[in-house]
Amino acid sequence: MRLLGQLALLGLLLAAPIFSYADSRISAYTLMSPSNQAMQNDMNLNPAMFWIMDGEALWADRNNPSNKACVDCHRDAKQSMKGVSATFPKRVQGKLLNLEGQINQCRTMRQQLPALAYESKPLLALSTLIAYQSRGLPIAASRDPALESELQKGKLLYFQRMGQLNLSCAQCHDERAGLKLAGSVIPQAHPTGYPIYRLEWQNVGSLQRRLRNCMSGVRAEQYAYGSLELSQIELYLMQRANGMRIESPAVRP
Amino acid sequence: MSRSSRAVITLPKTAKRGEVFEIRAIVQHEMESGFRHTEQGVRVARDIIREFVCTYNGKEVFRSELHPGIGSNPLFIFYAKAEQSGSLEFKWTGDDNYLTIVKHTITVL
Amino acid sequence: MNQRRIFITSLTALSLSPWQSASATPSEAMQAMQRIVGNRPVNTGRIYFDLPPLVENGNLVAIKIAVQSPMTQNDYVKAIHVIAEANPLPNVVSCYFTPLSGKAEVSTRIRLADSQKVWALAQMSDDSFWRTSVDTVVTLSACTEMI
Repeated sequence: MRLLGQLALLGLLLAAPIFSYADSRISAYTLMSPSNQAMQNDMNLNPAMFWIMDGEALWADRNNPSNKACVDCHRDAKQSMKGVSATFPKRVQGKLLNLEGQINQCRTMRQQLPALAYESKPLLALSTLIAYQSRGLPIAASRDPALESELQKGKLLYFQRMGQLNLSCAQCHDERAGLKLAGSVIPQAHPTGYPIYRLEWQNVGSLQRRLRNCMSGVRAEQYAYGSLELSQIELYLMQRANGMRIESPAVRP
Repeated sequence: MSRSSRAVITLPKTAKRGEVFEIRAIVQHEMESGFRHTEQGVRVARDIIREFVCTYNGKEVFRSELHPGIGSNPLFIFYAKAEQSGSLEFKWTGDDNYLTIVKHTITVL
Repeated sequence: MNQRRIFITSLTALSLSPWQSASATPSEAMQAMQRIVGNRPVNTGRIYFDLPPLVENGNLVAIKIAVQSPMTQNDYVKAIHVIAEANPLPNVVSCYFTPLSGKAEVSTRIRLADSQKVWALAQMSDDSFWRTSVDTVVTLSACTEMI
């Protein structure tokens, strides 16, 4: 009788993994053609390599009023920036900052230089260089309890209908991911690869550019670059993709 | 005065005599096709790389004539036969005095 | 009834009337090949032309072209040309080889403006020509961007 009980327990323990919740989150990488995947994987073929090289040059650039380069505080980016982009957006000195915001904060406060505009070559170069150092690492989204209200606002924006087409992010990327929109498969929209080299842009671009692209796609007035709303959406997206592997800089069609 | 940009070459450091080895050459260039328009309807002028030449100890190994139909940051993967140790020169020329030259050495065993 | 049909047909004809298109036509592609080949005959085949049949974005399409050849002084591939039927310009790239190339094989990344037939034309050292084509469907992303 006792043996039967022990056997039943063993059976339950063995069966448990079969009933465990499988992670159904997948990156848009899996939707790409083999040649585009190869373009992303091989840094030798990835066009974003040039932005990384530009970023390395800027990292060592002391041409500013404080005569300080990134390297003077942060040393070798390959070491110091490992895992850094995985944690953004996060709270820095009370404010919700994404990676671009943090870079600009360093520039304005430590180097006495003006902030770099979104999608400008130098800002993309630095964010691509930094994000590249997290390639292969899991997203480690901020669990800061002080950011709870920002996170909830971001979630609200994600589920809120917008634009003349009156669609929310969730309607396409949660409910209809895997189905087709005008011949393209709708991805789950995880921010695992940013900044991306998008073939459509023939350029590297930030997550905010992509979010604004979506908003114009549903014919909504786009939130401004660097706006709180976009950072809140970024925060929610990172939470939603927490633990997924970073592919930066990714290639996307 | 010529404009220049970054180029990345991938090739083996050594090769056996007679061996055919792979060379990858990619250069940073937007390859503005000349068919794009601004939002105001003004045509953006063509600005492309026109020619890429690879020579091996002075002898031509590969040459290409590029047209606007070549994508940004032009990449060519091609081959060369290892004959003698020496240097390979990679030259890109294009519109508006564009010129980039990169040299690499190879040891043939 | 008859008059209405004539009216609708003529309206349709007006709306479908040809407009100034910024793309080449198959005949322009043929002319581009003609300029290279001249009077010489062109054989079909022999070329390995790897171009995806479905392209996610026409801005950067990876292609590979290879021609089997001994690549000796007497017998080698002189050139490989890529001609696109529906790009604004038919000539995409021309690649030139020598016996020192070792292999008549090249990979590059091209732009394709639309779904179309793309030709690879090879010129041998004895001035014989070979050609092959691939039909491809080019898709665009679903949402347009307002920058």
